[in-house]
Amino acid sequence: MTDLNLESIHMTKFSGFKLMVLALGATLLSACGGESEPESAAVAPTTGPSGSEQAQAYYAANPDFFSFKTPADIPTDLVWEDGADLPDIGSPEAKTGGIQYEAMQDYPRTLRHVGPDSNGSFRNWILDNVAVMLAHRHPDEFDYYPGLATSWAVSPATKTVYIKLDPDARWSDGEPVTADDYFFLFFFNRSEHIVAPWYNNWYGTQYTNISKYDDYTISMTMPEAKPDMLTHALEHTPVPEHFYADFGPDFVDRYQWSFVPTTGAYYIKDEDIAKGRSVTLTRVENWWADDKKFWRNRYNAEQVYISVIRDTAKMFEAFKVGDLDMFGLSLAEYWYEKLPDTDPDVQNGYIHKSVFYNQRPRPNYGLWINTDRPLLNNLDVRLGINYATNWDLVIEKYFRGEYQRMNTAFDGFGEFSNAAVRARPFDIDKAQEHFAAAGFTQRGPDGILTNAEGQRLSFTVTSGYESLAPVLTILKEEAAKAGLDFRIEVLDGTAAFKKVQEKQHEIQFTAFGVFLEMYPRFWESYHSDNAYDDAFLEDGSVNPARQIKVQTNNLESFADYEFDQLVNQYTVASDKDEMVQLAHQMIQMHHDHASFVPGFVQSFYRIGHWRWVKFPENFNHKHSDSAGELFVHWFDPAVKEETLAARRSGQAFEPQINVYDQYKEEL
Amino acid sequence: MRLRLNPQTLKKLRRFREIKRGYYSFVILMAIVVVSLFGELLINNRALVVSYEGELFFPTYTDFHPGTDFGFQYSYETNYRDLQARFEQEGGDNWVLLPLVPYSPNENHTVTGIFKADPPSFEQKHYLGTDTTSRDILARLFYGTRIALFFSLGFLAAVYAIGISVGSAMGYLGGWFDLLFQRVIEIWSNIPFLYMVIIIFSVIPATFSISTRIAILLAVMVLFSWTSMTYYMRTETYKQKARDYVSAARIIGASDARIIFHHVLPNTLATMVTFMPFTIVSAITAVTALDFLGFGLPPPTPSLGELLKQGTENLRTAPWIVMSAFGTLVVILTLVTFIGEAVRESFDPKKFTVYK
Repeated sequence: MTDLNLESIHMTKFSGFKLMVLALGATLLSACGGESEPESAAVAPTTGPSGSEQAQAYYAANPDFFSFKTPADIPTDLVWEDGADLPDIGSPEAKTGGIQYEAMQDYPRTLRHVGPDSNGSFRNWILDNVAVMLAHRHPDEFDYYPGLATSWAVSPATKTVYIKLDPDARWSDGEPVTADDYFFLFFFNRSEHIVAPWYNNWYGTQYTNISKYDDYTISMTMPEAKPDMLTHALEHTPVPEHFYADFGPDFVDRYQWSFVPTTGAYYIKDEDIAKGRSVTLTRVENWWADDKKFWRNRYNAEQVYISVIRDTAKMFEAFKVGDLDMFGLSLAEYWYEKLPDTDPDVQNGYIHKSVFYNQRPRPNYGLWINTDRPLLNNLDVRLGINYATNWDLVIEKYFRGEYQRMNTAFDGFGEFSNAAVRARPFDIDKAQEHFAAAGFTQRGPDGILTNAEGQRLSFTVTSGYESLAPVLTILKEEAAKAGLDFRIEVLDGTAAFKKVQEKQHEIQFTAFGVFLEMYPRFWESYHSDNAYDDAFLEDGSVNPARQIKVQTNNLESFADYEFDQLVNQYTVASDKDEMVQLAHQMIQMHHDHASFVPGFVQSFYRIGHWRWVKFPENFNHKHSDSAGELFVHWFDPAVKEETLAARRSGQAFEPQINVYDQYKEEL
Repeated sequence: MRLRLNPQTLKKLRRFREIKRGYYSFVILMAIVVVSLFGELLINNRALVVSYEGELFFPTYTDFHPGTDFGFQYSYETNYRDLQARFEQEGGDNWVLLPLVPYSPNENHTVTGIFKADPPSFEQKHYLGTDTTSRDILARLFYGTRIALFFSLGFLAAVYAIGISVGSAMGYLGGWFDLLFQRVIEIWSNIPFLYMVIIIFSVIPATFSISTRIAILLAVMVLFSWTSMTYYMRTETYKQKARDYVSAARIIGASDARIIFHHVLPNTLATMVTFMPFTIVSAITAVTALDFLGFGLPPPTPSLGELLKQGTENLRTAPWIVMSAFGTLVVILTLVTFIGEAVRESFDPKKFTVYK
């Protein structure tokens, strides 16, 4: 899928790492890179113990965490589930073969799955949308369907999930996937060599034990029996132990451009990496999951050719001439202006347009206010900013009323979301009341408020979304009415991310990718651990010597002692009702703190695709995020030829503009 | 310093006037510069004159007037178009005189209820249409051009000041000074200019006001552009220094300063003047290119480059954007080029030779 930035959200599938929704900008400098640099050749072979030997030593050193047991140790009273009753995902009509033509804005900086630069949007092609995990959430039913596992069982009393592995599962290089690869997963992700502190922390704290009963049976134990224990246990892609023979401190460089064997249907040949230009995915021959119920008739294209097109406008033109098969039309500009229903290609039925409404947690676009900054640490100023930000106008006039106002940073989590909390409307009078309470009473010669010391009410709003800069210019014009000045700073995506990670921002317009899970996370963005080093003293009062903590997701420098206690309770709570109640309480507190101005949510995605791209009859998955992510589409070369010939001769087909709104929800 | 124009130079200026194409281009360009100085009176969302309850207001250059000043309920800046409509409706003695184009370059003004590019409309007074967020293109073009023009004039002045001083010094002093600076310039001019601008500009904090940012951009561009001028000045000074009249002046006992300012510099005028238009063109092009790439002036500053970018992105759906931006750029650059051609011709000592 060629998606516009609103949808190009990438994240690690497996529970946890929330990422900034990046519209990774291409810097000019990176454009000059040579075609091939013999980096991997420059790395000398290691002489130390192999990855496998290191892992064995690590297991031996941590016997409490890594247990080797026998099948007799598996409790007999378990209730095994296998998701077999869920409906198929692929369509029996699908045809295999053909090439899917795709484009990406930026060349991937690495093929590693972890470590520096590995969180680019290219992950989708090698990991998130392709690699098979133990089990996946069904895109309509939310329940799990099997991937690498055949069945699983939860034992809440022992906080353990038992998993039976599919003996058919193979890595793309032909090696079988066994329990050892899951052990290696923990060794790998807890190693400092991967330079990924978040993974180190997650795998070090969120699990207490992994046990192997035989080559195809494992169990994982967690510190708390959370309502979504299955997520924590099942959403894993193992790490191939046999591949990391040279694992060591030089991991980051050594494996920079090595394709990691995958459990999924597509792999990358070395010769298909044309640096700076394109990457081609090739389908694994006789893929192990070809005949599995939930995997058959998917990943139908023989190859996926992804080329670099740095400019969205150019990408669209490439789509329009048929060089790309699909294009995300989520932005109104594209849907109504650039490819209107009256476009000849649409009217003649060569290009089909579809809107899909979906239901899932949404990326939280909004203004993140750094409360560590002067003036912004004043609640009245923040409240004023909330009232002075005219999202409604942006939604109504710029997004043409198609998006909805986001109410909290935690929308879309069902009962965990607090529906009673509504975002503050644009209200000049209320904004001025709050600004006045903060001492800003006089309007300067340009209409911007000043206080008694002559300070102007002016803040920098930083963003990495170049394509959303118009949103900020509209907000700026409106805020000026309330006497508030926004200085707009639109940076390259990477530079903006860097700035916010260094906590150098005043106000940041950004969003985190949220993925399909049961309940929102609070610790990452709102616990004081991620705002300051030693935020509070023993008695809960503010530590006067506290230092801001960088490189965390707490963009608001949100630190509240009481809130911390609630987050801690929430983290250990195992009762769903208790968690719901805590979530509601925290969402209310976060709203009262006014350090976030909720922006907009998009409750649908839209694509345009050429006639030769076919989707299953019933295609419109409730929890899907983009049309391409499930790989249920297929390509019909005969139809492609027919369409292109018809286009030349002027022959028309039935136009198709489809709206799938059965999952439309009122927000 | 006083440059006494010698009869030769006066003759050259007369010659310039005779070259009609160049001369009129110069007149037009100067007119544009002068008009743009008073642009707020022509293109602005603030009224020129408001007559309200017997009192006259001239809001263009004054502090802002909150709506309450004119009987509106709101405390933010008066919308003078609404005010005009209201006065007409009320039919009293109050009246508003709006500028020709009653829009500011940053204001989103839509007639359709949606912020999108609208084609030119005389009725709405969007004479060149609106851009993708419903801002008036004429207003953005006008102020964008003004910034670009004054930016390039500032650029010219700075580059010339440095280029001429260093170049002349190199030529006149010669010796180790010349050698040293030649090497410095060789190294300096090998630093890729565009990347440097991008890198430096990306670390400048946004807390600086827009005019400060423009000044910094100017400084950075000058820093990497002064070198080209030095070499021309160096050769020219070398040439003049070897002439008999310089030797004569020296024998009479003229000081170095007198020789440089009274004898050498006036005789290098041809070189200086000839390069002027090209320097301006390169400055306008550079600042446009930087904006086009998104590394120039911060939004929402109106700029030609930003408009060009919007235009190329909406080539098929909103051709009026690219047409206005491109048209303006062509006109300005053509005018400057014509002037340059005429200047070169009039300052050319070989009046009747033809370049082949």
